[in-house]
Amino acid sequence: MIRHVFTLIWNRKRTNLLMMIEIFVSFLVLFAVVALGVYTADNWRRPIGFDYERVWAVEVDMQQSSDDTFDESQQETARQLMFALKEFPEIEQSAGTMLAPYQFGSSNSGYQWRGRRVDFGVAEVTDDFKDVLGLKVVEGRWFSREDDGQNYHPVVINKDARIDLFGSGPAIGQSLNGDRPDSLPSDDLPSNEVPQRIVGVVEAYREDGEFDGERNYALFRKTMLGAQPGRGDAAARRRDRPPRNLLIKVRPGTTAEFEERLVRRLQAAAPTWSFEVTPLKEMRDTSIQFAIAPLAAVGLVAAFLMLMVALGLLGVLWQTVTQRTREIGLRRAKGAARVDVQRQILGEIAVMTTLALAAGVLVAIQFPLLDIIYFVDPRVYFVGLAISVTAIYLLTLACAWYPSRMATRIEPAEALRYE
Amino acid sequence: MLKSYLKLAWKVLLRRKFFTFISLFGIAFTLVVLMLVSALLDHVVAGYPPETNHARTVGIQFASQRGETWRRNGFAGYGLLDKYARDLPNVRLMGVASMPEGVFSYFNGQRVKSFLKRTDGVFWQILDFQFLEGGPFTEADVRDHRFVAVINEATRQRFFGGQPAVGRTIEVDGQRFTVVGVVPDVPILRIVPFSDIWVPHTTAKSDSYTKEYVGNFIGILLLDDPGKLAMTRDEFWSRLRTIKLDDPGFQRVDATPETVFDTLGRLFTGDGTGEGTGYGRRLQIALLVAACLFMLLPAVNLINLNTSRIMERASEIGVRKAFGASSRTLVGQFVVENLVLTLVGALVGFVAAGLLLGLINASGVIQYAELSLNYRIFAWGVGLAVLFGLLSGVYPAWRMSRMHPVQALKGASR
Repeated sequence: MIRHVFTLIWNRKRTNLLMMIEIFVSFLVLFAVVALGVYTADNWRRPIGFDYERVWAVEVDMQQSSDDTFDESQQETARQLMFALKEFPEIEQSAGTMLAPYQFGSSNSGYQWRGRRVDFGVAEVTDDFKDVLGLKVVEGRWFSREDDGQNYHPVVINKDARIDLFGSGPAIGQSLNGDRPDSLPSDDLPSNEVPQRIVGVVEAYREDGEFDGERNYALFRKTMLGAQPGRGDAAARRRDRPPRNLLIKVRPGTTAEFEERLVRRLQAAAPTWSFEVTPLKEMRDTSIQFAIAPLAAVGLVAAFLMLMVALGLLGVLWQTVTQRTREIGLRRAKGAARVDVQRQILGEIAVMTTLALAAGVLVAIQFPLLDIIYFVDPRVYFVGLAISVTAIYLLTLACAWYPSRMATRIEPAEALRYE
Repeated sequence: MLKSYLKLAWKVLLRRKFFTFISLFGIAFTLVVLMLVSALLDHVVAGYPPETNHARTVGIQFASQRGETWRRNGFAGYGLLDKYARDLPNVRLMGVASMPEGVFSYFNGQRVKSFLKRTDGVFWQILDFQFLEGGPFTEADVRDHRFVAVINEATRQRFFGGQPAVGRTIEVDGQRFTVVGVVPDVPILRIVPFSDIWVPHTTAKSDSYTKEYVGNFIGILLLDDPGKLAMTRDEFWSRLRTIKLDDPGFQRVDATPETVFDTLGRLFTGDGTGEGTGYGRRLQIALLVAACLFMLLPAVNLINLNTSRIMERASEIGVRKAFGASSRTLVGQFVVENLVLTLVGALVGFVAAGLLLGLINASGVIQYAELSLNYRIFAWGVGLAVLFGLLSGVYPAWRMSRMHPVQALKGASR
């Protein structure tokens, strides 16, 4: 039976090859869109690790384009701002950070660590950050006064990083410093290399929110108390530079009216700087819009493409059945039942779909195998692959259904004298 | 000859309406997507008012600073433009403007967000704004740090309920400005003129921007002869080479006067620096490749449909062949038929794209968008349709022409 189907397909190889190419290309298009959708859905379902309710972000614009240059007067002004926030009874808690959650932009770090390449999203935050956002410490502790004046930089990492770097081994007290270049003698620290010591692990902190991919995060402690502003290693700069965002947790029932008073107060403390207050909830809405809009556009285009392909296949199969009236009539005359004819038509398309999908999967599988888009979990690919394969089978069989029914209605006597 | 082809094509279109619908659906949909993208692109890079001098204008937008280990990319700093981009050869006027930044005002307990652009006086000479009331601020206003502002119609509506605004004041970002002019809204896609509020750059809260090489300004250059852009660019580049930086981390500054399309190409195909040229060419190629990739599936779909429809006309072909029609004639006939089909599809797509653009404008997704179709986009649409028609018509036509007359007369199925 199967061999027979192959012979039939081979007999009309040119037409069928074209159809297989069409199914193959459709599969690739569908797979790309579905994989993107699965990736997004997978991100959406994981915990973001913080609470955005009643938290407002105050973006501080120091009116300069570089984050790296700052002086003591700017540090002093930033400290004044932090004090000013404490005056308001409306504010429960406040913290400083480089980037607010849901804010555009990111700070990343990648280097050789214990012989392999590691990448981190980097956040630099003050001690109250944990309470403002309600981060959950699952191991070790959060930053505290006991880190003051120590000869190390305290670091808190997220659970993804904990598993990636240390597996099930101990993480607290370990160093996060990159490997020393080979050119340096093994026990000679570069002059600016201060140990970065892991003091705690948080459940999660996904800075970009629900659509942030699965990745390592390292939170550095910001005190703005550095002795030499603008000098030293990257971790020292993170400790010393003024925060670009202040996060405040307001009491329930606080309205936009308070926002105006707050801005005027901050403006008075720092006349040459600018401030922008936005509730995290609003920033979250914007971030969701920005993530969904392109996905929706791509999804809509893909849906129309699939509709077009479906109509096209329907048309071609219809035409094919019309052309093969005599062949089908002959089979019926020789005693084939209606259901046999239908099974033949559906069987042919199923075999062609299988061949096209085999080629398609072979191409699609290259992405996880070659690690091209390394930050995507291979599971996402396989779920996407399974969904796309099923969808294409359903699509082609649905398109073949009507023509196959049409084939069963062919009467042998009529068909054999059909011109 | 062509007339009978067209007549025949029309008859074929009307014969099997369902198949014609399927083909037209695919073609129209494909062209709608392509025309929407073209319209969007056209509104970013082509000259709409107030950029009436668009053809003679170039910009210095991206700039970068680098040394052995560090690199900083961004827009040009005011210091860079002020010191090195003035009095370049072949340049009639040079204006500066900052990138629009979000600023806030509070009134009646409400927060209002606007975009603010800081410019000089020349900006208003290069760009051709039609003032609804008042006029632009001048070079003297800029020099004397006067707190004056030009606002757009939407801002006048928000702050003054649409009443005349000249002479009244608005407070944004803790600063108070006197309105001197009102202009129509400019879509956010037109990044050079776009803003809600325009004020003299000297009203900035601190003058640290005047020393920056990489910052958030762009230079706008009105050329005498756009054909001699290379001359202007080479002089600017050679001036940049004279920059001596005291920071050992940054030793070199790069920026390039170029068209908006080149800048857009730099954004999408460049590495974010201000170096080099020819990014527009690269963007063109990238767009063409993307369009072809997008058309691949619709084209395969149409080829499939066309091939199966030819078989339906096997006897017609057989008769024509038996009476001596050459293969070339038949290929020609079929390609013309397919082109007619795609052009009808293009027309449907053009109308649909127009309606969709209206929807996008009304939805407010793109601020102050006035997306519309014009002859340029229509020309692009027709060009793409012809390309698509050829792409999907040639193979089936070739298959048809190779059919053996006897077999064809019998109604071939292979």
